Amino acid sequence: MISWLVDALPLPYPDAVVVVGAALLGFVAGALGPFAVLRQRAMFGDAMSHATLPGVAIAFLLTGAKVPEVLLLGAALSAGLAALAMIGLNRSGKLSPDASIGVVLSISLTLGIVLLTHIAGSGNSQQAGLNTYLLGQAAGMVERDIELTLLLGVLAFACVVTFFRLLRSSIFDPGFSAVAGARTWAVDAAATGLLALAIVLGVRTVGAILMVALLVAPCVAARQLTTRLATLVPLAGVIGAVAGGIGGLASGRAELPAGPVIVLLATAFAIACVLFAPRRGVLARRWRSGPHPLVREKARPGTADHSRAEPVS
Amino acid sequence: MSADAMMIIVIAGLLSTGCAILGSFLLLRRQALLPDAVSHAVLPGIVLIFLLTGQRASLVTLLGATAFGLLCVLGFDWLRRTGIVASDAALALMFPALFSLGVLGISRFASGAHIDIDSAIYGDITFAPLRTVALAGVAVPRSLLITGGAALVIVLFVVLLWRPLHTSTFDPEFAETSGLRGQVASRALLVAVAGLAVVAFDSVGAILVVTFFIVPAATARLLTHTLGAMLVVAVTVGWLASWLGQRLAVGFDSSIPGTIGLVSVALLGLALLASRVMRRSRKPATPVS
Repeated sequence: MISWLVDALPLPYPDAVVVVGAALLGFVAGALGPFAVLRQRAMFGDAMSHATLPGVAIAFLLTGAKVPEVLLLGAALSAGLAALAMIGLNRSGKLSPDASIGVVLSISLTLGIVLLTHIAGSGNSQQAGLNTYLLGQAAGMVERDIELTLLLGVLAFACVVTFFRLLRSSIFDPGFSAVAGARTWAVDAAATGLLALAIVLGVRTVGAILMVALLVAPCVAARQLTTRLATLVPLAGVIGAVAGGIGGLASGRAELPAGPVIVLLATAFAIACVLFAPRRGVLARRWRSGPHPLVREKARPGTADHSRAEPVS
Repeated sequence: MSADAMMIIVIAGLLSTGCAILGSFLLLRRQALLPDAVSHAVLPGIVLIFLLTGQRASLVTLLGATAFGLLCVLGFDWLRRTGIVASDAALALMFPALFSLGVLGISRFASGAHIDIDSAIYGDITFAPLRTVALAGVAVPRSLLITGGAALVIVLFVVLLWRPLHTSTFDPEFAETSGLRGQVASRALLVAVAGLAVVAFDSVGAILVVTFFIVPAATARLLTHTLGAMLVVAVTVGWLASWLGQRLAVGFDSSIPGTIGLVSVALLGLALLASRVMRRSRKPATPVS
């Protein structure tokens, strides 16, 4: 199926692989992003993506070879550990959430860099290319990577569809969710697991430092265009896919690292949506709110600012 | 201990002084992640100035980088105030974009030149003692002057603005109504953070910036109950980590900033244990005041 898709694109084979792979990855990250962003866990995701670095390095040190699946498994394990560490630090009560995230972030970055420098200095000829995990590279993608992304992506999507109502109520009304009998810790663990999956899939193409943008930017953009979570998730996925596909292709052609190009595309789209979105955009609001706040309040009492109170549902 | 080793410890220690002080305020204001974002966001400023003037480490570089650091902070503030984007998502939207600009600038225009992504991220404090400037006929490491100046400015800043900073940290509304100009102090704090992050970025690289701003302050928060004590402990932890880290790095032949970072984290772990023990033996902890 993948080779069919790759052949169907009017592009040279290597370019087509990159476009399909990066777009697929953008879709998975974009679609899973809302479950972090709407829970105000954007920077939580940042710390987890930094935490993939030591995981990749340790997996490489243990096996001595650069098998993508093994490295990704290491990345997933250490991202999960980082999530546990943040939750634990936060529960211990004396550190606020942002401090716990910051502490784990700096441990992960330091450990990752120390290990990667150690590996780079060890003279192992296999190690070349490990530092693509820092800034990402799309050019080396092969069909097997796409198959892996597709498999895990479909798995994640099935999870989201099956447990959609649980995930939704845990985002918007955790109290209700708990009272209604959902096991909060299980939902929490599932949401964190999905986040780890998205990060691990993306980290080789976009890089650990920038991965968070691929989770956040499509969600921010899509949030401007819809108020329903059931639309937000696929829409954010599509935005991520477009940014990923175009960015992957452009970076390969111009011999630039893929991560920055994809991130800039996605962020530009998000900022454009924040400014120009038809109803929630900054300009639309300003235009609607009229010449002077006092005049408006007098003219239409009680109708002042509906846009702000408009919830996602 | 050789003179160069001593110099590295002093440079790292001076830097950690400023970072620990500002980091403590940020931690208490729940803005602990701001320096991380700023330290990424300054990269395009450094690259731009390099492309325009060919200088990698000059006063102009500092200005350019600070401009982008401020751009990040102000953009974050603007996004947050629109009410459209939550605070953490606003941060996560701003800094990767700016960092991306910097990386693209390096790989497109400046590759092979004296600026490269590795030294920006890993830092090169190891060679700091070798880059000297003549001051009154004596060769002084440039980083020593810069970090020393920065530490002095930060200490003065906090001493002079102690009341507004202290009050607006714990009770922003009271700080406003009592005429202490808490808003102005908060803005000034953000500017100081951006400036110091740039100085640190230039001297020791991105890893240590993040660690120095967050970890000593978090360690001190676990052990102390007043702001004054917290600042003193945080600064002490920073110096201790710099000293131990440099010694261990030489002993194990590993990267100096990395080892300093790991030692700070180890100290934090000890503090966590200590606070457990303290809490068990005493009454419940009182909040910082």
